[in-house]
Amino acid sequence: MHFITGGAFNGKSKWVKEHYRLNAAPHLWLSAYHGHSIPENTENWLDFVVLEGIEKWVQEWSGQLAIHEVREKWRMLLRSWTQWERAENRELILIGSDLSKGIVPMLAEERKWRDVTGWVYQDIAEMAEKVDIIWYGISQKIK
Amino acid sequence: MAKQSSLIFISGGVRSGKSRFAERLAASIANQTAGNLHYIAAGQSSDPEMERRIVRHQKDRSKSGLNWKTWEQPRGLKRLSSVFTSNDVVLLDCLTTLLNNEFFSSEDLWKESFFQEQIMCSIIEGVEQIAKSCRALIIVSNEVLNERIGNNELVFIYGRMLGRLHQHIVTSAKEAYLVEAGIPVRMKGVDGHEGSHDSRNGIGCWEKPDSDSDLQGFCQ
Repeated sequence: MHFITGGAFNGKSKWVKEHYRLNAAPHLWLSAYHGHSIPENTENWLDFVVLEGIEKWVQEWSGQLAIHEVREKWRMLLRSWTQWERAENRELILIGSDLSKGIVPMLAEERKWRDVTGWVYQDIAEMAEKVDIIWYGISQKIK
Repeated sequence: MAKQSSLIFISGGVRSGKSRFAERLAASIANQTAGNLHYIAAGQSSDPEMERRIVRHQKDRSKSGLNWKTWEQPRGLKRLSSVFTSNDVVLLDCLTTLLNNEFFSSEDLWKESFFQEQIMCSIIEGVEQIAKSCRALIIVSNEVLNERIGNNELVFIYGRMLGRLHQHIVTSAKEAYLVEAGIPVRMKGVDGHEGSHDSRNGIGCWEKPDSDSDLQGFCQ
């Protein structure tokens, strides 16, 4: 698992496409920004899968569930994805925007979303073999 | 021989010391090349707070004992594309203010994609033309994209434009720095200027992108 994070509009997806040369490689790209829902199972997945907009999926659950529930559900997903990735030649890429460096939001629901996103990112980063931060197209490998 | 890019990008949070670093870097380059120092000021004194900030920056520059020539250019960066010469060191502070001024230059147009493209192109072309004409163009900007963008259309569009501008500039820049608490962290570029401060140890940041796209191509 490879986790890609960094600020919004910093070129994270573009970096993934170029780094993995996805123009010329079969892959499945699921994006929260394009209305795809959280893939709760790995049916019909190709061997190379990119999940984009993690923070948006977290937001969806954050609006419905308690923080510990959101986090637990994500951990279960992450475990099942790690399981899926064990088969040979499979790779999963997760892309999530960093929400963590602004002023404390006025609205409780936004504070909750921001908090739980940070925790989910910690869980993702722990399970991922590789983590990169993208800063205007430049990658910084932190794991 | 193709001229090496003279573009240097510096970004950081509020009060991170990015302007101070930019000014020192500019002075050090000008010192090596015996060039003149130019300052492109994008800020407009629209209220007392902004006025005070401008005065503080002006004082800092005059205290430095260096001879800065200031160009007040809140909009229309391209108008400065032919005023510099090849030894000049030019500092633009800051890109976010310039984008603000362009963005709000007319009431409701910011919603229109043609207007957004027009602003982006005119800034990118301005940057490109100035960078070509001088010894070094240093651009200072702000880190504002590491928080939730939310559902506000204006903030979303502004954030997207700023992010894309930063990506274009960093791609074509020779050096790029992220300033944290007064310490510039070099994100791109090899050992270059004397007086640049690479505080980074051990973390390999700069990876050459596959495509060698530069600023050109965006506006065609």
